[in-house]
Amino acid sequence: MIMKDSERTDNYDKIAIDISQKYKGKIRTLPRVPIHSLDDFSVLYTPGIAAVSKKIASDDDLVYDLTGKWNSVAILTDGTRVLGIGNVGPHAAIPVMEGKALLFNYLGGVNAIPVPLNVKNNDEFITAARAIEPYFGGYNLEDIESPRCFFLLESLQKQMTIPVWHDDQLGTASIILAGAINSLRLVNKKKEDVRVVFNGAGAANIAAMYLFESAGFSKKNMIAIDSHGILEPERKDIDSLMLKNPWKYKIALETNKDRITGEVSNAFKGADMVISASKSEPGTIKKDWIKSMNNEPVVFALANPLPEIWPHDAKDAGARIVATGRSDFPNQINNSMVFPGVFRGVLDARSRGVNFGIMVAASNAIADYVKNPDYEHIVPTMNDFDLFPHVASIVAKKTVESKLARKIDSQAGFLRTATEIIENNRKLYNKLFNEK
Amino acid sequence: MNYKIREMEKNDVNEVMDKLLRLKRLNSEFDYALKVSSANEAEIKSKLDKIINDKENHIALVIESNNKIAGILISDIIFRIYYDPKYEARIREFYIMPEFRAHGAGSALIDEFRKIINKREIKMITAEFPSMNVIAANFYKDLGFRELIKIYAKVD
Repeated sequence: MIMKDSERTDNYDKIAIDISQKYKGKIRTLPRVPIHSLDDFSVLYTPGIAAVSKKIASDDDLVYDLTGKWNSVAILTDGTRVLGIGNVGPHAAIPVMEGKALLFNYLGGVNAIPVPLNVKNNDEFITAARAIEPYFGGYNLEDIESPRCFFLLESLQKQMTIPVWHDDQLGTASIILAGAINSLRLVNKKKEDVRVVFNGAGAANIAAMYLFESAGFSKKNMIAIDSHGILEPERKDIDSLMLKNPWKYKIALETNKDRITGEVSNAFKGADMVISASKSEPGTIKKDWIKSMNNEPVVFALANPLPEIWPHDAKDAGARIVATGRSDFPNQINNSMVFPGVFRGVLDARSRGVNFGIMVAASNAIADYVKNPDYEHIVPTMNDFDLFPHVASIVAKKTVESKLARKIDSQAGFLRTATEIIENNRKLYNKLFNEK
Repeated sequence: MNYKIREMEKNDVNEVMDKLLRLKRLNSEFDYALKVSSANEAEIKSKLDKIINDKENHIALVIESNNKIAGILISDIIFRIYYDPKYEARIREFYIMPEFRAHGAGSALIDEFRKIINKREIKMITAEFPSMNVIAANFYKDLGFRELIKIYAKVD
């Protein structure tokens, strides 16, 4: 199985480089307005366009009605943690950001623009992000190292009046929660009661712990594990965490009510669910650990490309439900099921922000979208195209309820808008590439 | 939370040493000149024994929650030959376990300390901590302290 995967990966690598050489970038600017000759520029540009600028100057909110701000998202990165390849810098991050921009557009009809930043520290990042806000209706932070990503997200969410999202944290956390909701329905357990082990304390799992708490899971019943072991308030490096990673520090203080310490295996004993975003190596989670879990254990082994335990090994050890990050096994936990719908929703509501309440609504919408969940179908698949407008409408409605929306509509109205935008956009793809 | 504050006793030494080493490791985060030296537990124990016994020159307190030490305060009483007031109680070591921070343990410990030095008619309290420890600086500022003396270091 490992050979087959690595051969497939090599093949993808080769094609990706060939395509990049051939097309020299994956996205470009295309007009929204019809244009037939240079004469059209008298209204698309000077002199006519000055009248539009004057209108916006007299009423700032009109920028959403008269320009492309309403549908534009900046994908901001400093290139410090690009995919699994690490700190490769802003130039090397561009191919990934272009791919993400294309996904935003293809799935959500969003006009996403890569904005890799040459910045040396957090202050420079925040200054740059604040400065480029005028054209954008939202920000997606991407591939930024932890714990810097927590600081940047928190700071920008406080300072900006557009939604700021960090997909590696919030997108992943939302789809994990959606999968957890359906898993608990299937094993007939209550979120308030279950003991959840979070194996790995990077961006996604830390965000997931806060999100699970917002969704009604008990933080006291959670146990987090990082590369130094089980997190608890008396761990020797706790003060260092306070200074260097206050988000993880807070987790250490507020979780693990039973004060489980010592070997990592101790955390698994009696646990109902493990969410692992840890080392990409089968065997990182041992079969014996799963055997020691409560009845009908749920195992999310989300490391990519190789999960922390192969699904068949997890099942052998008694796991009732297994999810991974991969598309070639059942139950793929993939943040691409989240961000297109979430952004479509917050953009359509012209939201001033995004919060855990909106994310919980998105996760519930994704979980509910699976009409008859079973052990091998706890989340939608990437072929469920209707998912995105559906999530968008729930997110937009929740945005209105949270008093963050600049544009008010009913859920049905938002669903119509999102469906129309996404469908029209797909028609554009068909025209561009001559597909019927 | 329910706290009990009392004088440090000989039986506390092991637990107090754990807190002291935590404090020193925290200090080491602020400056390389505060790097914690290893394997000198016997010396630390003997120093703690002396402090506990020498009640004239030291005040050493612990704060407990559910019979477990939640924090420590160790101070020296200094005679100020050139200045008035003549005596100063200097907090050399002050550490609260993370889960008891922001729950009143620190200020309760300082309050009790104040009562004790008031009885001894000591009018002045000082506290030392690494320059870069903003959290400690803010804690003392909130209690009405201000910066008095700076210590500059050069390590060759």
